[in-house]
Amino acid sequence: MEGLENYIEVSERCVRCGICKSVCPTYDVVRRENSGPRGRLSIIEARFKGEEGFKEAYLKSVRECTLCGACFGSCPNGVNIPELILAARNEIVDREGMSFGESLVFRNFLNTEKFMPLMLRFASKLQGLIFKGTSVESGLLSRFSVPFVGGGRLVPELSDIFFLDRPHIKELSSGKGRKKGTGRVGFYVGCGINYFLPDIGEATLKALGESGADVIIPQGQVCCGMPIFSAGDRGTAKKLAQKNLEAFEETDLDYIVTSCATCGHGLRNVFKELLSGESPELKARVEKFSSKVRDITELLTRDLPYKAAPKGSNRNTVVTYHDPCHLRRYQGITEEPRKLILDSGFTYRGLKHPCRCCGLGGGLGFSNYELSMDIAMKKAEDVKNTGADVVATACPGCIIQLKDALHKLGVTAKVSHVVELL
Amino acid sequence: MLSEGVKRELVKIAGKGFVSFEKEDIVSYSYDATNRMHPPDAVVFPAGSEEISRILKVANLEGFPVTPRGAGTGFSGGSLPVKGGVVISSERMKNIREIDTENFTAEVEPGVITGDFQAEAERLGLFYPPDPTSLKFSTIGGNIAECSGGPRAIKYGVTRDYVLGLTVVVPTGEIITTGVKKTMKGVVGYDLTRLIVGSEGTLGFVTGAYLKLLPLPPAIRTMLAEFASLEDAARASSEIIREKIIPSTLELIDSVCLRCVEQYAKMGISSAVSAVLLIEVDGKGEILGKDCEDIREISMRNGAMRFKVAENKNEAKDIWKVRRAISPSLSRIKPTKLNEDVVVPRSKIVELIKGIKGIAEKRGVIIASFGHAGDGNIHVNVMVDRKNAGEFRRGEDAVKDIFELTLSLGGTISGEHGVGISKSPYLNMELSVQTIEAMMRIKRAFDPNGIMNPGKIFRMEHV
Repeated sequence: MEGLENYIEVSERCVRCGICKSVCPTYDVVRRENSGPRGRLSIIEARFKGEEGFKEAYLKSVRECTLCGACFGSCPNGVNIPELILAARNEIVDREGMSFGESLVFRNFLNTEKFMPLMLRFASKLQGLIFKGTSVESGLLSRFSVPFVGGGRLVPELSDIFFLDRPHIKELSSGKGRKKGTGRVGFYVGCGINYFLPDIGEATLKALGESGADVIIPQGQVCCGMPIFSAGDRGTAKKLAQKNLEAFEETDLDYIVTSCATCGHGLRNVFKELLSGESPELKARVEKFSSKVRDITELLTRDLPYKAAPKGSNRNTVVTYHDPCHLRRYQGITEEPRKLILDSGFTYRGLKHPCRCCGLGGGLGFSNYELSMDIAMKKAEDVKNTGADVVATACPGCIIQLKDALHKLGVTAKVSHVVELL
Repeated sequence: MLSEGVKRELVKIAGKGFVSFEKEDIVSYSYDATNRMHPPDAVVFPAGSEEISRILKVANLEGFPVTPRGAGTGFSGGSLPVKGGVVISSERMKNIREIDTENFTAEVEPGVITGDFQAEAERLGLFYPPDPTSLKFSTIGGNIAECSGGPRAIKYGVTRDYVLGLTVVVPTGEIITTGVKKTMKGVVGYDLTRLIVGSEGTLGFVTGAYLKLLPLPPAIRTMLAEFASLEDAARASSEIIREKIIPSTLELIDSVCLRCVEQYAKMGISSAVSAVLLIEVDGKGEILGKDCEDIREISMRNGAMRFKVAENKNEAKDIWKVRRAISPSLSRIKPTKLNEDVVVPRSKIVELIKGIKGIAEKRGVIIASFGHAGDGNIHVNVMVDRKNAGEFRRGEDAVKDIFELTLSLGGTISGEHGVGISKSPYLNMELSVQTIEAMMRIKRAFDPNGIMNPGKIFRMEHV
């Protein structure tokens, strides 16, 4: 792998103080050095320096990280451990290819804009065979264990008509044709909203409409590539980034908005990392693109003339908020979603650990569902202790995970995207 | 190297999944916060005393070294398997067994994270004062082995002052109990508790601890005093104590640290400031106002340029930010930090500080000092680059000078980190041959075959 020495330089700044272990969601649950940031860094460094003898435990340690970024935030020496882990995953994929499961899900499903919708459309008709409906507002409980979906796992129901396929969405593919500088907003939908949680997409549209924006939803958009990037396949992620770049370049937009924290991190930060090195021309294009990206909570509170209106009955509803890692740590957005909740007149009650990872990130939900759920259960307990009626967040991934965990704990709190509360 | 027979025996004792010979574990259980690496041959994760007892018996029979390990965050190498063998991790022994709100005591397993235990006690209105800076990630077991302390030591003492009794697996494999469980007194037999606390894992593996708790102080006030000279600050800190005010924290920060903090974290401290004191008092709210006034007066009398009392929690947090920013900023001056924790009598702080300044000039190295002025324990950081051989040697010479200075002032070369391997070359600077021999006789009585954490504290050339 190229540039390994850069990563060794990063890891050598680590003085092995161990402070990162105190914030790591996987170490918290597993309590083994290899399940924490310092251990991961140490074995990656040893491998990159050419030591041999690493086997399954190495793969497990490197794969079972949520990439939440808490370790980086805690490090006195600024060692970017998630970056090292991504490099290690990349090295594994380059050397051995992806595991069959990862490859099936990430490469085939999420890769092409045609294959995935086709497969999922098929799946949306079949889901009743594998899953049974639950009392939870939207969700299916797997009847038996299927690949990537353990028995008893609560998975979101596939939407009957995907968001991007809806006629009123298709109509927005070129917007109302307003000029740049008058609130022309491109909406990047993302897989979570498109396939599973289209209501968030509708709520986003509604809020944007109220703010007077001219919304454009390009049909050429594809998966942001974050799942496959996290799994270590930079090549495929690069192709997806380029497709998205093209889809949003055609129209002269003021902003590109997303209601998914993970997509937002991808569009804003990872695209630049992936494409900047290709050519100066591409670098300029991706920088222009990334500078326009906003999270929906950020766009509504900072950029557009929008004011959340308090509804009378909201005062009686207690809302808490979970910080998605990709929003808080990778985009620095913390106050904006809370402001929207408060402005809407809800009674806000904070979590004890609002920024502790939900456990789904970094592919952990796929690589080790049980561990992912152990982490999520701590979050569910935290939600339970607030006594909140609604736990709001700003990431479809977190929403899916929180619903599963709260269902397991028997907590009836509703899980919503902040934009759905407006 | 362990024989196949020993490996099978270890798996039989601890169970599959709780013994590892894999490269991944060998690497990640080879280091601690000294950032040195000594790979073990195996790592075991026992559930408790019985398993450890059986492992130690095999170790005596087969003659392999055993090294106890908590979180691996020590600064003296206590958990490094310097002779290879088996590392025994306390990570699975992580339960708080009881917090007794009537007797103000607690029973914990060694793998409990100190900060988690403190939070749990505080939830019940109780207080476990020892506060090593690593408290959020170090374990009670490790704290006991090293007798850790922290800023609050000035008022509340260190780990040993809160250990009532212990369950220990001694190196020959017997499980013993020391001290008392829930009583505030107890003089039956030798005080083995005090012997084990701070013995750096050389006399046994602590598998359970009975701890003393205090009522949680209802209020805290935080202050920051800025001085134009380090000597003024040190003098003020000595005078606060002389005036019989015992703050819960009295931290001194020198100008090297302050400039670093300012450069990297922008805390808004003027370049005219050469030292600050961070002071905290705790107790009943009504008394604290008077304490703050007295401390302000003493500070001003000793030449403070500015004195600030935090009005609320956020302001207190801002003041602590300065202290917490030191460690991150320091590492950017030079990559290698020779981190020493010398202690002198509180009345000698000014002389220590002046002497260190002289040593830095003489040896041509940067020395950053900060720490617990209130109890005479100063963290002296000699900043060098390990890759620069000449500079590294000058740094090591400076360390030796600092130890000599400390001892000449009636101090000790380690207040809270322990000897381990980092300070063992210097042990005979502080202890006489007779004293070292007496300690080694105790070691031999506990560990006739020398299997328990060998290579720590003592050096054969010293006796």
